[in-house]
Amino acid sequence: MQVPFLTLAGGCRRAALAIVIGGVLAVAIGACGGGDDLVTIDRVGRAEAPKTLTVQLNASYSPQASTPEAAAGFKKLFTAWAKRHPEWRLDLNIIGGTMTTAEQARLLQKAKVGQAPDCANVDSFTIPLFIEQGVLKPVEKYFTKQQVADLFPYVRKVITGPDGHIYAWWWSTDLRVLYRRTDLVPRAPRTWAELIAAAKAAEKKDPKVDGYLFNGGRWEATTFDNLGYFWSQGGKLLDPRGAPIFAEGANRTDMLNVFKFLRSAVTSGISPSRVTTFNTYDEFSTAAQAGTVATFLGGSFQWPTMQSLLPKDEFKKWAVSELPGPRPGETATGTGGWSMAAFSKDPAKVAACMDIVKSIYAGPGNTVTGELPTSRRLFDNLKAFQAPIFKTFRRFLRDAEPRPGLSIYPSLSNELQIAIGRVLTGSATPEEALQSAGDRVEQTYQLLTGT
Amino acid sequence: MAAPTLDTTRSRQGAIARPHPPGSRRRAPDHLAWLAPLLAMATLFFLWPLINVIRLAFTNSTLLRDDYSYTLSTFGQALTDPSLPGVLVTTVIFVGASVAGQLVLGLLIALIIQRAISRKLRGAVLVRSVVLSAWVMPGILIGVIWQIVLNEGPFGLVNSALASVGLAPVSWLSDTKLAVLSVVVANIWRGTAFTMLLLYAALLTVNPDLYDAAKVDGARKLRTLWHVTLPQIRPVLLVNTVLITIATLNTFDMVLALTGGGPAQATEVLALHTYNAVFVNFNLAGGCVLALFLLLASLLLTAFYSRVLPEEQR
Amino acid sequence: MSTTTAGGSGTAARGARPRRRTARTRARIDDVWTYLGLLAVLLFFGIPLLWMVSLAFRNQQEILVTTINPVPDHPTLDNFGQVLRSAQFPRFLLNSAILSAIGACGAIAVAAPAAYAFSRMRFRGRPVLLVGVLALQMVSPLVLAFPLYRYFASLGLLNSLPATGLVYIAILMPLATWMLKGFFDGIPRDLDDAAMIDGATRWVAFRRIVLPIAMPGLTAVFVITALLAWAEFVVPFILLTSPAHLPISVGILNLQGTYATNSTGILAAGSVIAVLPAIVLFVVLQRFIVGAFVSGALKG
Repeated sequence: MQVPFLTLAGGCRRAALAIVIGGVLAVAIGACGGGDDLVTIDRVGRAEAPKTLTVQLNASYSPQASTPEAAAGFKKLFTAWAKRHPEWRLDLNIIGGTMTTAEQARLLQKAKVGQAPDCANVDSFTIPLFIEQGVLKPVEKYFTKQQVADLFPYVRKVITGPDGHIYAWWWSTDLRVLYRRTDLVPRAPRTWAELIAAAKAAEKKDPKVDGYLFNGGRWEATTFDNLGYFWSQGGKLLDPRGAPIFAEGANRTDMLNVFKFLRSAVTSGISPSRVTTFNTYDEFSTAAQAGTVATFLGGSFQWPTMQSLLPKDEFKKWAVSELPGPRPGETATGTGGWSMAAFSKDPAKVAACMDIVKSIYAGPGNTVTGELPTSRRLFDNLKAFQAPIFKTFRRFLRDAEPRPGLSIYPSLSNELQIAIGRVLTGSATPEEALQSAGDRVEQTYQLLTGT
Repeated sequence: MAAPTLDTTRSRQGAIARPHPPGSRRRAPDHLAWLAPLLAMATLFFLWPLINVIRLAFTNSTLLRDDYSYTLSTFGQALTDPSLPGVLVTTVIFVGASVAGQLVLGLLIALIIQRAISRKLRGAVLVRSVVLSAWVMPGILIGVIWQIVLNEGPFGLVNSALASVGLAPVSWLSDTKLAVLSVVVANIWRGTAFTMLLLYAALLTVNPDLYDAAKVDGARKLRTLWHVTLPQIRPVLLVNTVLITIATLNTFDMVLALTGGGPAQATEVLALHTYNAVFVNFNLAGGCVLALFLLLASLLLTAFYSRVLPEEQR
Repeated sequence: MSTTTAGGSGTAARGARPRRRTARTRARIDDVWTYLGLLAVLLFFGIPLLWMVSLAFRNQQEILVTTINPVPDHPTLDNFGQVLRSAQFPRFLLNSAILSAIGACGAIAVAAPAAYAFSRMRFRGRPVLLVGVLALQMVSPLVLAFPLYRYFASLGLLNSLPATGLVYIAILMPLATWMLKGFFDGIPRDLDDAAMIDGATRWVAFRRIVLPIAMPGLTAVFVITALLAWAEFVVPFILLTSPAHLPISVGILNLQGTYATNSTGILAAGSVIAVLPAIVLFVVLQRFIVGAFVSGALKG
């Protein structure tokens, strides 16, 4: 059974050889993709530039974006920046993926041990957590008072610390809206009752469709999307100190209303039970493509996706409206988005980081990605956002609520996902589910604050 | 490098008589030098972290703060957590069904492949390769693929296949009970190759004369299997079972990608529950308590197997 | 299944011809069953794999709206192109290769002497230590990762491939020790003894006699541990924080894109590329590995 050329030493030697070959291949392949001198796979600017800035970017906001237009757009922007700032070299850490909670926790961990990149994309709703942990540098001096005033109020609130300093720049935002097919649901439902009735009518008109789809699986969007229904009633998740109060008093009633509404969506038949398996917004756009959905709760960022997926006359049938509430006029929507924050202690690096966000992301970045700007001025001026749909989105931003970004939020979100799942599958009553969730979040909160 | 030529008859007699070859002094802790690297690594990377896990389980430490104090309340909270019984039941079902499934399927495939190769039928090696390919994929990927296969929407593979023959779609992932089944099936798909490999090799070591003897005695196939084959491969079966049980107990990446633990907590196995405790709730101490549960479960199961399937005496 | 014929096989030729035909027919029938079994296994294991390959060749339009036809209407190589051109992917593969090599080589380097000692030497505590080694196998990497994470963080070792490689070695060495012991047990002690009679030390006997004979086993163990390292998820997920250091088992997550973009096709293409080396290695070497198992690994 002996195979002569395989010896132990030979085995490791072959492995080493394989690594070398693999490494050469990797570099070669990587180099093929780089191309431009100033923007390569992991660097912007000249390699020998005197000053270095480590920058962590989401893949979608970098020259390695998965959509070719975004990739080309960012490459152009970064090249121009490199030409304007020849003394800087940016070492890029490109990340992507949907493990947002873990990624942000990891970034925080790195920051606490002093190993965070100088400059990074941070999920906007976690900014308060980073501020709370004291790892960010104030940056208000790099922006004009006008620029700060132009930000939407909810944006400004999130990026400002308790001491009044601004600690990051939130440059892209999105919101949740109700998408509907106007041939099946001609008028925008303003209340939950209207939604259920309209969805039922839609299903009768076209038996192939599901009346209303929404996120119900075990991921962040389940909590996030449906919190709009909670906030529209004036519900509060946390008190001013940051303690969880969503299961107490008036908030408890509001949350139970949400649970009951979601349950009724399934029991009335307008939502299939498979909503509890959804963990991507693609489920909605694919259903739209297949013609099997009448209304769904989706993100503003899905509009361009829908436009590219659907044939023109199909796409024309779609419209958006604000989330319905228990009573007419009560509406709110969850918003998300991304910021740039500076972790470095070196003021020159902080300045460079903020320059990047000002000249690449806030404005041009919005145009390239199609994600909504956070500033009224940009909304007015950017050509890309003059289509009527964006006026609509901007109007809806008035009722926008960001998630609370404190350290209790991941646990809170997880428990709400579980509670919603239990309610949707009928394995617990809304009261039981909420009680459980409230107790466990309270327990974790006490643990995290050391009380 | 060839082995030195020996007069084996002489040395065989000699070896039995003398425990130590003449001419070598009996140095005291000879074996320690050989075991040293292993022991050092074990101490550094197993013993020390384990001690810390045990220690941290008695604190209230979190991932977000550096300070902590000692307390028994974490244990209390973990034990009284109302979701824990559900998680444990799910884990028991998941592990039990997965292990049983992998053993049965692995044995079956090993037998089929063995017969196919011995009868020179075509395709045996191809099938074996395909089964092995499933094993080398990262768990996350397996979760993603099975989620697409079992998706209940218009693009779900299985439901589309059912629809094409006129059957109703099944709620593979949204029904709390079926979701557990789906996770089990995906895990069996992933892990069977290891059992197949081990048992296939074991089957090849069984003395074929035993089969002939059984045939002479008029034994049917199943009886041969039960009374002849299985006892012969018993020691391998034991080790195999222990290994795949432990591997299954510790699986969470596939479950994370396939269902995230949902719907609700229907598929949240203990390993995933532990991960959530530390990286979602930032509850390091609580995670350590759960980790100790995991360890305890592994120990108990190994002890149980050792009783039920005793090893051959060496 | 089939019925047995009564009587022994060695009786007079008078009944032999019909019995032989019956036996042959029975065998043929069993062949059909075997083929069916092979087909069933092929379908069960192959269809998800086939689907993954199919997804890798689809464009955005076709990615999720499917029938059961695995062949897309407009197949495209775009996904593969994007994966290979991305900054991260070749780096992920390289990291995986490095970690697998460190893990496998290191595990064997640590396990071989220990396995030899367990196989050849008698000493106090041997049975206990043996069980202890197997018990190490029981400890989940998840359990170890938390304290290791804090420890590495404080030592600044969080993004270090070598340090993480050490953890890989620790995780792989129990299985390697156990398997190698089995191989060594299968090599007659006379060989070592003969060498030592001729004046060699135990170490020399080990290196020059036992190891070469155990080479098939060593290679089998190398391949198995390398593959286990390739698929390892928990350890790199927790201990490696920067994308430049991630192996493919974790990095694959990064190919999923953000929640706003649909990149299932890219994920599938990346997956195909990622598992290809492992599959090729395993398929090419499987006869060899199986043979090695048969010849030695299964003793105890």
